[in-house]
Amino acid sequence: MARDTRPMNRRDVLKASGAAGAAGIAGLAGCAGVGGGGGSEYPAIGNYPVEGDEVVFGYNVPQSGSYSQEGQDELRGYRLAEQHLNNGGGWVDDWSDLSGDGVLGKTVTSVEGDTATNPDTARQSAQRMIDRDNAIMISGGSSSAVAIAVQSLCQEEKVQFQCCITHSNDTTGPECVRYSFREMFNAYMTGQALAPVVAEEYGDDLNFYQLYADYSWGQTQQASMEQFLTEAGWSQIESVPTPLGTSDYSSYLSDVPRDEADALILNHYGLDGANSLPQAIEQGLDQDMEVIVPLYNRLMAEAAADSIGGIFGTADWNWKLENSASQSFVEAYQQEHDRVPSYGARIAYAQTLQYAAAAERAGTFYPPEVIRAMEGYEYDNAGLGSETMRGCDHQGQRDVLVMRGLPPEEQTEDSLLELVSTTSRDNLGYGCDSGPAADCELGDYGDEDSG
Amino acid sequence: MTDDLDRAEEADPVTDGGSTVTETERTSAGGSGLAGLRERDDFVVIATAAALVVFPFLLVDVLGVVGDLIGMSIGGYAGLPSLVLIYGIIVIGFNLLLGYTGLLSFGHAAFFGSAAYSAALFSQIVPSPILMVIVGSLVATLLAWPIGFVSIRRSGVYFAVLTLTFGQALYFYALGPGAWLTNGDNGFSDVAAHGLFLGALPLDAPLLPVFDSYTVMYAFTAVMMLIAVWVGNRIINSPYGLIFEALGENEQRVEFVGLNVFRYKLMAFVISAVFAGVGGAMFLIHEQYIHPTTGLYWIQSGDFVIMTVLGGTGSLIGPVFGAFVFEYVANVISGVNPPVIGPIGSLWRFVLGAVFVFIVWVFPRGIYGALSDLGAWLLGRSGGGDDGSDPAATDGGESE
Repeated sequence: MARDTRPMNRRDVLKASGAAGAAGIAGLAGCAGVGGGGGSEYPAIGNYPVEGDEVVFGYNVPQSGSYSQEGQDELRGYRLAEQHLNNGGGWVDDWSDLSGDGVLGKTVTSVEGDTATNPDTARQSAQRMIDRDNAIMISGGSSSAVAIAVQSLCQEEKVQFQCCITHSNDTTGPECVRYSFREMFNAYMTGQALAPVVAEEYGDDLNFYQLYADYSWGQTQQASMEQFLTEAGWSQIESVPTPLGTSDYSSYLSDVPRDEADALILNHYGLDGANSLPQAIEQGLDQDMEVIVPLYNRLMAEAAADSIGGIFGTADWNWKLENSASQSFVEAYQQEHDRVPSYGARIAYAQTLQYAAAAERAGTFYPPEVIRAMEGYEYDNAGLGSETMRGCDHQGQRDVLVMRGLPPEEQTEDSLLELVSTTSRDNLGYGCDSGPAADCELGDYGDEDSG
Repeated sequence: MTDDLDRAEEADPVTDGGSTVTETERTSAGGSGLAGLRERDDFVVIATAAALVVFPFLLVDVLGVVGDLIGMSIGGYAGLPSLVLIYGIIVIGFNLLLGYTGLLSFGHAAFFGSAAYSAALFSQIVPSPILMVIVGSLVATLLAWPIGFVSIRRSGVYFAVLTLTFGQALYFYALGPGAWLTNGDNGFSDVAAHGLFLGALPLDAPLLPVFDSYTVMYAFTAVMMLIAVWVGNRIINSPYGLIFEALGENEQRVEFVGLNVFRYKLMAFVISAVFAGVGGAMFLIHEQYIHPTTGLYWIQSGDFVIMTVLGGTGSLIGPVFGAFVFEYVANVISGVNPPVIGPIGSLWRFVLGAVFVFIVWVFPRGIYGALSDLGAWLLGRSGGGDDGSDPAATDGGESE
């Protein structure tokens, strides 16, 4: 439920009186922190103003469920970002907005939660971060259903949400909200980037068959593949839903018409993809047709390492990109964890820094101002070349990488995929009045009545 | 909701009042030793009300301060007390079925979720929380009738699996074919509940100036909880409720006495579904969001069972303790980061499992049983006898 937004100090008073009420067991312990940032120029909203010397970020990631391994890598990215924000290092040294001395003079601390890849668990976890821990920003995702659920909560609570991994069109389409931003590309862009590449590689006039994870992401993913492959001259035989979290795909795979289909598209991610792809190879489907995995991630590539040779897909980012931002992030991450980061770690890292930088540009944590500082912002320091955080739907406009799996003999622990091409953002995306953005209504900033 | 129950009680034929009932009453009074407490309707309600008044303060403020002192965030947060009570309402009803009538339903999420969805859809037309609760519980009741009618015909594991099947059917419907209605996997978030009394009292408005866990929503939930306790207490004290308990103890005997076992079991099923429906609608109003995985998935039904057994099936409010421990572990302990162990995170189900095993192993009657044993022991020291256990148990409830 929506929380009230009354003036400052309430929680500190609360703690103090809680102490008093508990018959003095706590003495005056609750009083610390009262009196920081007294002269705030904006009205209280969400968890603004930030009291005391610390500002709390909430990292709400899957620590269990289909996408838990992603979640672990995201957490590593978040923690690294926090460390750099407080002590300098990594991108913080190169971004003019950031000082390495916290954000707006306050030290960054964090709380973590487990979404269990379940939208409602994620909402309750985010609710706790907002109500109890006073998080000013929540970040997370790794299942679009979760990201969509949490971003709608954040809109109600007037707390910023920074999308991590969420690839569904709906996140910045029909379900978009003012308080959420997404840098990651979406299924629509995957279709745009991937279709021409596979059409050129495999020929024009093919029949394709799709399996997709039956939830928000899988549904928009298969719809986008259908749209762009059909535009490229292919024709769809059928598109079949599979429940999220399926471990045995053999019955779905044996229904694939081998003599009819020229390509099989597996719209599965995380553990699902790690199960379905090897099973498809085991059944020998790759002998009869081309297999395509629209969205790669590391877990899937690792689990299916023997099967990914030559298989096309897209990825958010790759550690081998040769720009200075990518390399400095890889270096910093490697120092911490002794292996290269996956793209989940980069998005987590980037989203945290993006928020901090926007707050610095705005000069305040006041959410409407932070949002305005981020809308329409152009940047090229996040490892993916020039990017724009578009104002009309909060969808990042950026390049998309098309990857191909390396044959098993060329793979190393950190290098499973090769970069085939980078589709420039000029050839991707859609206008504010078309594609998923046409259904997006962002909602209010929260300061309309007072401003 | 009360209308339904009143009707249920009225439906009880006058002829049931005779020797049958005195017989069962005698059995149960001797058996459970709760007869003394049961007579005291007003006492139960007043004790519950007192506990409801201090509950958020203890959970949010006192535990918050303790958490600050020991450096771990073990305090609750503003929305948690309401959430506990909502699950409390559900498990009170669930326990009427499991603890008293002895029927283990594994499909109560169906009533919970369908009430939540119908309340959500109804809110598009009339954004009134009270009407949403009424509509939600009405839908749950109407749904429980046919599901109960089919499932009750079998007992034991067959009954459990039948209810589970109905629940899962609804789950798959909500996720796939019914997505036009439920918004499928994106979850239903366009809930409009403006406030009580034609929006005059917004649900998130604070009741007390400093304690922000005392909101209108909490008061609303607390009142619903009180009604649930009162109704539950009336049911188990009525001749009708005693037949439920007799059914739980020995179905054949009840049949031999000449009662229509099927009809009583169906009614117990429907009554518990009404509680689940009220809880489901309240949950929706509280969360302003519902997703098939929360509303209808079988794990939700399993959670009801765990809460009930954890709290203790032998008493009216016992399961509420289970709901409290469950939600506390799920929502607070999961975010704790103890020095040596590290973040609990997804290990919360492991923690809950450990608590569950411990409680069920050491105190087979659940947390409530443990508290009443503790009370009996304390009272025993000050000279109380066997019968002292009941008031002592209720004291435990208050100070919790």
